[in-house]
Amino acid sequence: MIATLLIGLREGLEAALVVGVLLAYVNKIGRRDAAAKIWLGVGAAILLSLITGAVLTYGAYGLSFTAQEAIGGLLSLVAVAMVTWMVFWMLKMSRGIGGELRSQIDRALLGNGWGVAAVGFVSVAREGIETALFIWATTRATDTTPLLGFAAAVSGILLASVLGWLLYRGMLRINLTVFFRWSGALLIVFAAGVLAYAIHDLQEAGFLPGPFAAVPPGAGAFAAAWFGDAAWAFRVPHIIAPDGVLGVLLKGTVGFSPEMTRLEVIAWALYLVITLPLFLVASYRGARATRKETPCPPSAPAAASSR
Amino acid sequence: MSTISPRRGFVALGAIGAATLTLTACVPNAGTGANAQSIAVTASDTACNVEAAEAQSGTITFTVKNDGSKVNEFYVLGSNELTIIGEVENIAPGSSRDLTVQVGPGDYFTSCKPGMIGTGVGQAAFAVTGDAVATTPEEDAVVAQYVGYVKTQTEELVPQVAAFVAAYQAGDDETARQLFPIARINYERIEPTAEQFGDLDPKIDYRKPGAIEEGLPFTGFHRIEQDLWLDEAIANYSTPEKDHYPKDDLKPLTPEERKEIGDQLVADVNELKDEVASPDFTLTLADITEGAKGLLDEVAAPDGKLPGEENEFAHTDLYDFTANVEGAQVAFDTVRGLLEANGGEDLAKQLDERFADMFALLETYGSYDEGFVFYDTVDQQQRNELAAKLTALSEPMSKLTAGVVQG
Repeated sequence: MIATLLIGLREGLEAALVVGVLLAYVNKIGRRDAAAKIWLGVGAAILLSLITGAVLTYGAYGLSFTAQEAIGGLLSLVAVAMVTWMVFWMLKMSRGIGGELRSQIDRALLGNGWGVAAVGFVSVAREGIETALFIWATTRATDTTPLLGFAAAVSGILLASVLGWLLYRGMLRINLTVFFRWSGALLIVFAAGVLAYAIHDLQEAGFLPGPFAAVPPGAGAFAAAWFGDAAWAFRVPHIIAPDGVLGVLLKGTVGFSPEMTRLEVIAWALYLVITLPLFLVASYRGARATRKETPCPPSAPAAASSR
Repeated sequence: MSTISPRRGFVALGAIGAATLTLTACVPNAGTGANAQSIAVTASDTACNVEAAEAQSGTITFTVKNDGSKVNEFYVLGSNELTIIGEVENIAPGSSRDLTVQVGPGDYFTSCKPGMIGTGVGQAAFAVTGDAVATTPEEDAVVAQYVGYVKTQTEELVPQVAAFVAAYQAGDDETARQLFPIARINYERIEPTAEQFGDLDPKIDYRKPGAIEEGLPFTGFHRIEQDLWLDEAIANYSTPEKDHYPKDDLKPLTPEERKEIGDQLVADVNELKDEVASPDFTLTLADITEGAKGLLDEVAAPDGKLPGEENEFAHTDLYDFTANVEGAQVAFDTVRGLLEANGGEDLAKQLDERFADMFALLETYGSYDEGFVFYDTVDQQQRNELAAKLTALSEPMSKLTAGVVQG
């Protein structure tokens, strides 16, 4: 039961944390309407995943392994791109304004709020199908009543949601300028984890070279190092059990898993090394500058334009 | 980026996400679809028991039940034990999950990963038999074309061998010596294919040392060669380094023995022709490309043409050399379209040039019609030159399979 619960926690944690930050963000700048839209996006993603999962589980056709990994991996890449872009876009637009003013600018910047809603949607949907398949599978449990397995899985996801909610509550308490910095930095750290996850999925499916593929004939020594056993960066499952509480929490927050491939680690490190300093430098510079000019708020597209 | 509104950007990204969904590939679930097979797997913390170790090609559903105390994963791996054909993760203790895969015939492995750790436990071989998964029509056409070539060569081989054997059995050694290299041409062009029929190649084309090493009777082309160039053979096997070879067969064969050995060679090449003509005979693309490379390796082998060991008594190695290169060239030419379709134009061009160089050099030594010089008159420097051209050709040839066979 605990094992099932932990799986649910691991699968749900990353999404819950991202959504927590998003909600704190829109709340902090007083856009309750956007919060509602985020919930709508998250709800839609959950519903879509559950329905798709059920169809694939109980219907006539399942999803091939490769397709499943491709969807998870590519959607994760999309999520990373969206989160990164959102963070920098907000930063750029609200550069050089003190905290109080900035919140007003941001309020206008959010546009009609569908953008953040889309980030929420993708963050949940990226692993939604896999998680839904897992949840439906627990209803076919053998040793225990199906209901118990199902309850354990859902509890895990609820526990992830609680952690996301705690983060949200905590973030609401901090000073506005600090908050903007931290929310962005956290989102970048989460996104790095999601990126590592995506690389791993795509390696498993054979779209990228990795430990699950043999060295192609005629490959040089450099190329060969990216295939087979040489492709692992480290394997320490005997130190941190991947099914233990610590392993689950690490995986669900910063994307660390006890066995990582070199490509995964490189992508994760490159992403962090590039984006985090960029973001922090820009963010501090923005806070120090005391320019009085108010940038023209972009004409927010009319709400409900094309939907 | 500055002119794009965030909302529009997100919608675009969303579209990319949606596009990934169009990549979906569906597999029939258990109990549906034609000849769906279901195999039960019992996983635990220490074992991975797969109910059956073999199945028919097509759709296979593994129902994996976790009887252990740890979260488990189940993998189906390719023959290299690395490629993941399919996996199902997050099998909680006490629960059961399905993995459905579509596989063609071949060797696979199954394995479980209790606790999601490391190399897993209970790795076992899993064999899939039956029909190959459908290939693309274009590939089929290429394979059919090459199979046609192999058939034609065996059909030409039979009368050439018959004429050679007839002269030999009639005691017309002069004619037989002239026909010997000619009778081998068609065989040498398709040697790797002939080698697929395990027992035929040793009977037809084993050299004396090879036959002795494997404890097989010394028959076929080279047995007749030894008899036709007996003086050469006696001289050859009197050297101290060949002292350990038996000498009892270094005497002229009687007409009866000639008949026996000649008839067997004719029968063997006829059997080869029939094997190749059978509707069951087919090759894969990789067989063709690897065979092309194999033909070049044959030339360079320590007991091959380049060192002059192939026809150690007749010294007609240049005929075989040329035929091997011709066979490789035909194989490459047959798959050229696929290579170029996969973006291998540069490789194709390079191979064309290297083949032309090789043939140009071989032509300086003669031709089938005019006759080639005997290889014992080719000095070491000339042999080095031949080796250099051959190596220059082998090198791009080793990339052919990867360029043609995708995935």
